[in-house]
Amino acid sequence: MSETPLARALARLLPDALVEERGALAIVTLRDAAPLVDAALRARALAFAKEHGVSHLALELADDAVDAAHLPRD
Amino acid sequence: MTAVAARFEPALSAAEKETQLHAWLRAQPSVLVGFSGGVDSAYLACVAVEALGPHRVLAVIGRSASYPAEQWAMARDVAARAGLPVLEADTHELADPRYAANPSDRCYFCKTELWNVLGAIARQRGIAVIVDGTNADDLADWRPGARAAAERAVRSPLAELGFTKAEIRALSERRGIPTWSQPSSPCLSSRLPYGTPVTVERLAQVERAERALRALGITGDLRVRHHGDIARVELAPALLGEWLSPARFRALREAVRGAGFARAALDLRGFRSGSLNVLAGVRAE
Repeated sequence: MSETPLARALARLLPDALVEERGALAIVTLRDAAPLVDAALRARALAFAKEHGVSHLALELADDAVDAAHLPRD
Repeated sequence: MTAVAARFEPALSAAEKETQLHAWLRAQPSVLVGFSGGVDSAYLACVAVEALGPHRVLAVIGRSASYPAEQWAMARDVAARAGLPVLEADTHELADPRYAANPSDRCYFCKTELWNVLGAIARQRGIAVIVDGTNADDLADWRPGARAAAERAVRSPLAELGFTKAEIRALSERRGIPTWSQPSSPCLSSRLPYGTPVTVERLAQVERAERALRALGITGDLRVRHHGDIARVELAPALLGEWLSPARFRALREAVRGAGFARAALDLRGFRSGSLNVLAGVRAE
């Protein structure tokens, strides 16, 4: 799920992210949303998305018990 | 008027446009206002009852599953404050398979139903003119519903007289109309991507989620976009930093899950009017 060009681009900003693409929508799943509180980092992520044909980028917070098990470990 | 003359003609102020609106309305024997309780139709209805008196104005609320309950409550409140005669009529756009299939011109089928229902009321009551709250800014947007209005001779005096949304808000504030600062609130079907069938269940799911998020204290622009198992939440960009904090995000997620979505995602760009038009390629960013 994370091996698309967009996922590789976003990994430069968000190394722990899982990226799920649904056409022009992409969902980024993170354990911790804190990095994206930074508006400049959000803007860079959105710019990467746009470069890869994704007009809508949304963040999902990994469920502590379930989803986090599928995320890369630090 | 020549192009040169037009260049030097001063733009009308909002107050001058309101004077023109009064004159426009007074020239009508009677009007039926398509009244949603949104910013534009609330302003138009209030000016209409002032210009014509309550015996020559009827505001009609078209009710269906795509019409948010909170907006209905606001419409009732505005009508009560303004002494506006109001009637409620059920519309059945969801029963039209052309609407329910949710094509990019879905609004055309909705407005066709709305204006058919309101047109019948106007004929029964001998009301001369049907008006809606379309404003000048709307003319630049993707609005297939406008075609249905044009086909049924529905007039849009706010657009015809050049009222912008900002002017309508300012004039509404001056009049004490409570909608002046209300976020724009299109129908609930606008939360479903084109091609996702419109059902009562999906609309109710979106409405529950938005109500739950409002209960968390989210103000201003808010949309819950329905992507099947995922609710994509659009907030005013200024609120994003706050709602990306872990505690806030978890509260948001629980609110959305409580409304029946399996997953909650927060749009990283924030609210965009017509967001799903961009997603579908109907409109450029």
